Amino acid sequence: MSDPVNIRQIAPGTKIALVDGAVAEIVSNPADGVWVFARYLSSPGDPARVGSEDMIFAQDIVEIRDDGE
Amino acid sequence: MTIAREQGYRPGLVDMAAGQISREIFVNEGIYQQELERLFARVWLFVGHESQIPNPGDYFVSGMGEESVILCRDRAGKVHVFLNSCRHRGMKVCRYDEGNTPVFTCPYHGWSYGTDGKLVGVPYFREAYHEKLDKSQWGLIEVPQLCCYKGTVWASWDPSAPSFFEYLGDFIRYLDLTLDGWDGSDGGTEILGGIQKWRIPCNWKFPAENFCGDSYHNISHRSVDLVGIGPSGSGRRDMQERVMARRLQVSFYERGHQTGVYLFPKDRPTPPSYQHSPVVSEYFAYCEEERRRNRGEWARLIGSPGEIFPNTALHPRQPRTIAVWHPRGTHQTEVWRWYLVDKAAPWEVKDFLRDYYIRYSGPGGMTEQDDMENWNYAHAASRGTIARRYPYSYEQGLGYEVENYQSEGLRIPGTVMDITEAKSSEHNLRNLYRRWAEFMEAESWDELVSWRRNSQSRAAAE
Repeated sequence: MSDPVNIRQIAPGTKIALVDGAVAEIVSNPADGVWVFARYLSSPGDPARVGSEDMIFAQDIVEIRDDGE
Repeated sequence: MTIAREQGYRPGLVDMAAGQISREIFVNEGIYQQELERLFARVWLFVGHESQIPNPGDYFVSGMGEESVILCRDRAGKVHVFLNSCRHRGMKVCRYDEGNTPVFTCPYHGWSYGTDGKLVGVPYFREAYHEKLDKSQWGLIEVPQLCCYKGTVWASWDPSAPSFFEYLGDFIRYLDLTLDGWDGSDGGTEILGGIQKWRIPCNWKFPAENFCGDSYHNISHRSVDLVGIGPSGSGRRDMQERVMARRLQVSFYERGHQTGVYLFPKDRPTPPSYQHSPVVSEYFAYCEEERRRNRGEWARLIGSPGEIFPNTALHPRQPRTIAVWHPRGTHQTEVWRWYLVDKAAPWEVKDFLRDYYIRYSGPGGMTEQDDMENWNYAHAASRGTIARRYPYSYEQGLGYEVENYQSEGLRIPGTVMDITEAKSSEHNLRNLYRRWAEFMEAESWDELVSWRRNSQSRAAAE
């Protein structure tokens, strides 16, 4: 298991991988250490979410993706 | 509550006919707990100033009674006041004093709220709640009544309380003496810098009654007057204007607000002030001329300390401040003091006033230090078993107040005690406790809006 991501330091535009296999791009970060606002780029479990924005819980973020894949 | 049940608030603990008040109301734990319910959960309270939250997402953490609240401006620009407590397990959702944020997030389990108070983030909403939690029912708790007036923000937890303007009645004219610009322009003030917060080991009513217009304690400030911290170098204020004016204490019996005021003689020029700085002195001389032009006859009225019931103190002149006496238990008060200046004033004026204000008021202010020493030791010396048996005296000037007070054609709203010759009176202090006792006994606001019944009676009689 990878180390926890310090989400307070994730800048808008950064791509993140989520625990359910989805990938999202940070839209804004309130820097509260709990939530980020992100847009889904891919979502294998629920393709309907692609393109939508949502609040992402810190515990659901697995890692930062440099390539967005 | 044994004592209150046995004696009653009126006339047992607060005997206005005799001008005596039991020490129990300052030191009794049961009475304090009842105050939180009967006063602080029902009255209008000062929360902050709009200039503290100019932009969407700005917030300022304030207090109402013992409880923390968030004053904020949502993304659409609307002002809100929320209880600072997560709906899930009660943790504070905001632990900073002020700032800007898109959301208030609880650090305990992560529930998150928009600046409009709506619950927007619930961890594992899909997985653990199966999307069945009705988020619309679990937003932050918002005050049912809020009013923005000339930049100030006021709120009440009681939906049945009268509107803020009805709560104030004609006293609003005296509040304006603190909120209008020095030139008399409507709401021309803003908050200067941050606010000061500090704690004093005394019941909140000690400072509250002091700021009702207790001029009897001036002897306490004699050392400050000797030092000469005033803006012209002598005394603690510019006193020339006061010497030529009539000194009045004004009470609103039905509402519990009271203030001191000074009433200038007609057509007399205002003496120079702020003479330690030519720029500042010139500014105030200009403003005084403008004020007379803007306000006409009412420009004869200048402010002096007062109190909006129950715990918002007004200090309209030198220095210009608003203080809130937050209750922090029976034996402790947390003071929050805001400093006001003209928005349009040159920076030299604001800087001069900042220096003078904090020299006078606040935890390091020399005048306020005198007061704190009195409240601290008066409270401590009133807690003992023997001490509690003996009431305080509030008899000064009892029976000498006047309705329909007039001076050179100007009628002054409220019940007035002219203390120009008498030097001092406890008229305003009695008014605070008269209203306090009414609140402590009343079961609902219906019993407290006596002015509505009285106006109906007058209409019926006519």
